[in-house]
Amino acid sequence: MRILLFIGLFCCLMVSRAYAQQDQLSVDYGKDIQPILSQNCYRCHGKEKQEADLRLDTLSGDLNDSAVAETWHDVLTRLNLGEMPPESEPPMQADQHRRLVGWVTTEMKRTEELRRSNGGRIVLRRLNRFEYQNTMRDLLGLDLDYAKDLPPEPTSPDGFQNNGATLGMSALQLEYYLKTAREALAKVIVTGPRPQVFHFETDQTSDDSKRSKQNKGSSNRLDDKSSFLARVMEFPREGEIRVRVHAHAIIPPNEGFPRLQVALGVRSDTVSPEKVLGEADVTSTEPQVLEFRGRIEEFPLPSANPKFPGLLIIARNIYNEPAPMKRKGKKAPAKEDPSQPIIVIDSVEFEGPLVESWPPESHTRIMVPRERRWSESQYAEEILKRFLPRAYRRPVDQADLAPMLDLFQKVNLRSQSFEDAIRDTLAMVLVSPDFLYLVEPGNEKQRRKLNDFELASRMSYFLWSSMPDEKLFHLAESGKLREPKVLEARARAMLADPKIERFVQQFTDQWLNLSGVDRVAVNPEYYPDFDERLKADMREETKAFFAEILTQDLSGLNLIDSDFAMLNRRLAEHYQVPGPRGTEFERVELNLMDRRGGLLTQGAVLLSNSTGEDSHPIRRAVWLLDRLLDSPPPPPPPDVPELNPEEASLAGLSVKQQLEVHRKKESCNSCHQGIDPWGIPFENYDAIGLWREEVRRVSRKGKVNLSPVVAHATLPGGKQVTGLKELKNHLLENERERFAKALVRRMLAYALGRSLELTDESTVTQLTEQFIQHDYRISDLMVAIIQSEPFQSK
Amino acid sequence: MKKSWHLSRRTLLRGSAASLALPWLESMSWGNEKQAEAGLPTRMCAVYFPFGVSLPPANHEHAGWNWFPTGSGKEFEFTNTLKSLEPLRNQMTVLSGLSHPNGRSMGGHDTGDIFLTGASFKGRSYVNSISLDQLVASHVGTKTRFPSITLSSDGGVGEPTRATTLSFSSQGRPIPALASPRQVFARMFGQEDSSVDAARQRLEQTGSMLDLLLDHSRSLRRKLGKLDQNKFDEYLDSVRSIEQKVDRSQKWLEIAKPDIDPNSVALDASPDGPREYIRAMYDLIYLAYQTDSTRAATYMLGQVAGATTVANTFPACIGLGGNWHGLAHGAGKKDGFVALGRFDQFLAEQFAYFLTRLHETKEADGTLLDRTLVLYGSSNSRTHQNRNYPLILAGGNGLGLKHGQYLNFSESTPMSNLFVTMLQAMNIPSDSFADSTGVLSELHA
Repeated sequence: MRILLFIGLFCCLMVSRAYAQQDQLSVDYGKDIQPILSQNCYRCHGKEKQEADLRLDTLSGDLNDSAVAETWHDVLTRLNLGEMPPESEPPMQADQHRRLVGWVTTEMKRTEELRRSNGGRIVLRRLNRFEYQNTMRDLLGLDLDYAKDLPPEPTSPDGFQNNGATLGMSALQLEYYLKTAREALAKVIVTGPRPQVFHFETDQTSDDSKRSKQNKGSSNRLDDKSSFLARVMEFPREGEIRVRVHAHAIIPPNEGFPRLQVALGVRSDTVSPEKVLGEADVTSTEPQVLEFRGRIEEFPLPSANPKFPGLLIIARNIYNEPAPMKRKGKKAPAKEDPSQPIIVIDSVEFEGPLVESWPPESHTRIMVPRERRWSESQYAEEILKRFLPRAYRRPVDQADLAPMLDLFQKVNLRSQSFEDAIRDTLAMVLVSPDFLYLVEPGNEKQRRKLNDFELASRMSYFLWSSMPDEKLFHLAESGKLREPKVLEARARAMLADPKIERFVQQFTDQWLNLSGVDRVAVNPEYYPDFDERLKADMREETKAFFAEILTQDLSGLNLIDSDFAMLNRRLAEHYQVPGPRGTEFERVELNLMDRRGGLLTQGAVLLSNSTGEDSHPIRRAVWLLDRLLDSPPPPPPPDVPELNPEEASLAGLSVKQQLEVHRKKESCNSCHQGIDPWGIPFENYDAIGLWREEVRRVSRKGKVNLSPVVAHATLPGGKQVTGLKELKNHLLENERERFAKALVRRMLAYALGRSLELTDESTVTQLTEQFIQHDYRISDLMVAIIQSEPFQSK
Repeated sequence: MKKSWHLSRRTLLRGSAASLALPWLESMSWGNEKQAEAGLPTRMCAVYFPFGVSLPPANHEHAGWNWFPTGSGKEFEFTNTLKSLEPLRNQMTVLSGLSHPNGRSMGGHDTGDIFLTGASFKGRSYVNSISLDQLVASHVGTKTRFPSITLSSDGGVGEPTRATTLSFSSQGRPIPALASPRQVFARMFGQEDSSVDAARQRLEQTGSMLDLLLDHSRSLRRKLGKLDQNKFDEYLDSVRSIEQKVDRSQKWLEIAKPDIDPNSVALDASPDGPREYIRAMYDLIYLAYQTDSTRAATYMLGQVAGATTVANTFPACIGLGGNWHGLAHGAGKKDGFVALGRFDQFLAEQFAYFLTRLHETKEADGTLLDRTLVLYGSSNSRTHQNRNYPLILAGGNGLGLKHGQYLNFSESTPMSNLFVTMLQAMNIPSDSFADSTGVLSELHA
């Protein structure tokens, strides 16, 4: 009885999440399911007979019992395969089949969520790659690539990469943390005199016969084939360097700004490796200076005694997609194309290493000035007393200092210098759990309020994906951070900081699964003109769009539909919308005929949920249900039967017709009737996100087949919609609260670094109400999350 | 004692399957005496690919693109798909009908995690068990600089049921895979720029550091809640395991890493050039074996989630059009068997390249392949079908295995029986693995 009550309660709370559950809400095993089993199954799997050793009449409906759950799992598999009831028996009625499959599926999902439960507690969170990179940079004050050796992070069931329960640790990772720390500290803590600074300037391109052979002659005038080469004979092997390009543009009417790419590389016999240093638009016909910086050791450098000495600075115009290196039979025209924008390089300057002061600030921040009376141990202790609290993001005591000083004593005896011993000691700090994890001591029995430092860290990792800055540390030290007014003011100030860009990047990428665009190959037979760079632009579009809504305090409902878009030149041309001339994203006002607005018409969403040849209505539907409505359908069951190739060929059918065939199978229908209608209204957008009235299919022999788009669907509940505009209107009119709640749930899960559970439901409800009252302003939601009880307690 | 020798004669190794064979004992001298003591090495490698293969019915017009050969036993013929393996026919056996019984009722995309473990995720939370390669490594891995290497095209560990690694520790924890050829090369063959003395000092300092770190971490652990403690144990285990690695490295200090010319492998190959990339991964495993740097390796070509695996675009990148998951799903469509079959063929060609390199390298009076067991296959037959895995076991002619066969099994034979057969061939004492019920005596010479 308790269990049934509990299930009942659970289902009520799950209303908004329910997708297939809609008609499962009031399902009672005894009243609703057993009669179906009795009528169809007990004859062979009951008291009299137990075919295949299976007895259903005594089988419990409580899937929390894992043995019971396993049996039901097997039953579901047989049902999905269409093996049961067997052909010799009368078939099960369609709606009975649907109810039975729906019930088992829902119960399985529910018990799985319970199994995964951590009692609503955050599990000790390791810094993920991105957080580690930012934290190392902010802590050490050097902009290096700290995460390059670290493996990619796992994604939690709700799509995030900052979930403590999911983020693991392994010997391999720890080994790389140590290696990274040592390498970084060797650069941060410097010894010796100020390094020699190299300076080089040229207005002449250096000739490179090898590159010229590829029809990419060197020149000061850059079209999409030529490049400018500067050969630097004297350069440092370590440190930050700067390349300044003095250039101007020649821009034909109605063309965009040409884009300058600068790479550093070397020439060798076989391959000539190079790496991009930076890119920038050349926006004016007047001379201008474009500056690029980087760490030279992260670029290919000539070996000790090279055949072709010198470091090459390579400048190109990448206005158009770089042409493939080998073009069979097609010689690139020797003359420049007058319709294309040109970059004229006036001169190129190289300088490095950049040393503003010696020792640099990053060094002196750690190596505080030594007082005469200090012994080496005292000096080490002074250094640690300053470094440890920043690394551990909290005040430290003697117990924290002791092991570090202990190590210092041990290594200092044999180290060549004091600096060496300090480097090793600090390396240990950087592989300590106090640095690598967000440590919040406590026990499960009792919830407690976070202290000010723990709260400061949660805030900074939520909003900045990094450690707290000095202001936040200072507030925590003063003990005032938890005062409501102080907390809100600080949260708003942090939201206004440029570092909020890190939140936008992480949250939108993971919430909306934007990296999916890179997993879809666009078929050139269908889209011969597709510029691969559009994929990155599409991801950027969605991020810029979210950032605009967040930073301009617009309504979050713009995510469903908006009268503006964030576009750059390439993407505006792709969508055939008048737009900016440069590569940077700008706000573009839309009109109805543009057929854009909101997330659903954005390339990243449409392309990543396509096949690269055609739309994929099911994937688009699942994306919408999962990401925007937080009602992910269950995954396809095991052994999904493939449509039999001997049966009527599906090749001639439209997607919608194919889906109809699919839905005719009873085992498929129970899920797909709740999925497909959400994807069909997208049909006017092709694989790469362009508007279409006809569906184009190319056969293997190259024959093109056209059929009209059908974008009409009946949503669960009976609402009829045709096309995406009507679907968006439906979402705005009838599903806006469900959307609001879905966004709240995802944002809260990201902020906490854990999956939500039943116990969070009241917080979610409260936050959702507030979010709606505050005109769906996302910044207000983020502040409210920081103020919420789960965010402030362990 | 250290003999000076160089493998860096570029022409010898670079990208050529037909490179000159290097006689094992003559050209490589480190650990030479140890070899004599312990006998010749035995090695294993497992290669996994997702989404299954093209399986047109026998009477279909495109039956020639069925992955499985025709005929059976010794009398079999490769179809188009595996024909590149014809020269190696007597060094390999094709197996059909095998699968992990625990996987049969798991989700169609969920079985990559258990390909080498045979574990069950049904009815309880996700708990995996030790993978075959790690069990092998615990026996044969003590004699080499690295106990094992774990590679995948995606890298990392992925998510439960969507692992991007084939290897799981004795506690069932996923072992992160490396995806960058350059990174793998740097780990295995990267030369230290410091002297042996400096390296020893560094290792000793690392040892002291880890000791102190372990003490400090244990006291931190006591302050944590139960959930956090469980999570934190991953950290403690990692520290301990690096300690062991440091001990191991100290033993290897005097012995220089093999000097391999970095230009002999396409270290900058990336997954958008699948042919070059897959071969680079195979080259690294080959070099690891040839230099006896490790004896256990896994390579997961892709994971079973089209939406997240980098391998999904492989077919398109080699000009076949379409995504891997899509090709697998479309196998039933018109010409679909050919489309997927051509990609299966491409993968088999890369595998043949790997086997050929092993087979053309002499070791004692046989070849590297004779003492290496290479398992190749998928945990799907067709997409989403967790039965009848397409499998090849190659190598091991010198370990008492009989090859040149096409064997068909029924579902009553669990795939773990193959694992036990492999373990025994490698002289690793074992009667069982996961849910095994015996051995595959058909493979015994």
